[in-house]
Amino acid sequence: MSPSGPIDWSPMIIGFIAGFVSRVISIRSGRSHYPGYPSGYISQIALAIIAAIIGSSIIVALVGKQFTAATFLTLAATQFRDVRATERTTLEKEENLILVSRGAGYIEGIAITYEARNYLAMLVALVTSIGVQYLGVIIGSIIGIAAIIVGEIYMSGPHMGDMVDVEPAQIHFEKGSLLYVGDVMMMEVGLPHSRERYEKEGIGVLITPKGPRGQAALWNVSQRQAISHEVASAVGAQKDVGYPEQTPLCRMDMPKGSGRAALSILPVEHDVQAAIRAVKMTPVLESGKWSAIRSPILNRKGLN
Amino acid sequence: MADAPTPVMFAIITTDKEAVYGGMSPIFLAHDDLERDRLAMWLTRITNCIAHDLHNGTVVLTVNQSGS
Repeated sequence: MSPSGPIDWSPMIIGFIAGFVSRVISIRSGRSHYPGYPSGYISQIALAIIAAIIGSSIIVALVGKQFTAATFLTLAATQFRDVRATERTTLEKEENLILVSRGAGYIEGIAITYEARNYLAMLVALVTSIGVQYLGVIIGSIIGIAAIIVGEIYMSGPHMGDMVDVEPAQIHFEKGSLLYVGDVMMMEVGLPHSRERYEKEGIGVLITPKGPRGQAALWNVSQRQAISHEVASAVGAQKDVGYPEQTPLCRMDMPKGSGRAALSILPVEHDVQAAIRAVKMTPVLESGKWSAIRSPILNRKGLN
Repeated sequence: MADAPTPVMFAIITTDKEAVYGGMSPIFLAHDDLERDRLAMWLTRITNCIAHDLHNGTVVLTVNQSGS
């Protein structure tokens, strides 16, 4: 027991609630990235509880002059580093089992977000409990709500829809076997049977960058793999092991290098609007972040 | 996965015997285009390789080194 009298639990309780809510909100918005199984939710909720407890109890421990406890709590916080590695390993293992892979960039992005979400919950809990400790329950609660909102805004990164325009385009074949989406060449399809399938059932979309930033994102192969994955999970892909030419593809308008990209897919559900929505909702990967200095393509073309 | 792995020539199917010479992959001779496409289709499905039409009567099948 601290010498300053009985412990005031309110910072810890309100901080815990704020941190937990901040993490639980993101479980919902992360639905497309994580398998929606109960066990997946439970492990996330468990981590949320641990993170919120750590964040909210530090200030109580410090005020109670329990420095040993505070030190142990910071030690516990470092354990969350493993969360990222675990998430990455899981997704990488899964990569060989899913037909349209996510790509290394997307996996890293998901793993980073997953880890950061836990730290965010911790931070929100910490800020809220400090607020409650020194400014009272009501102002502290308001700070908690504000922290949750700010965290949400800060954590929801840009989507492809902010940087590119997406429009439907016709799939056709030129020179007998070259698959084109609009005027973008995608690949060479040697089998007449597959060509028929593509002409009859395939959907294609053209992705036009709004500016150099969108173009830089599109030049990133991981980004395009992520787009293919998102579209395939939105409309389905008619593909199985042994049908490599029916893989959804997202390719740049290459011999011309105009910066536009196109996507071709043999969907299960012929819904062009859903495919376009999926392209727009694909998160912009961190590895594809725009940097005028580092991007050789943009420098060369004088776009920056 | 993001970048295509280096493909290896797996088989060559042709109707034009003169167009293909040597190499490390087996060469399948087909009587006509229909037969050639049928062969290409079967081999593709069996071996998970990708068919490319060279438009001179020859179809080549390539397979990616590290699976797909």
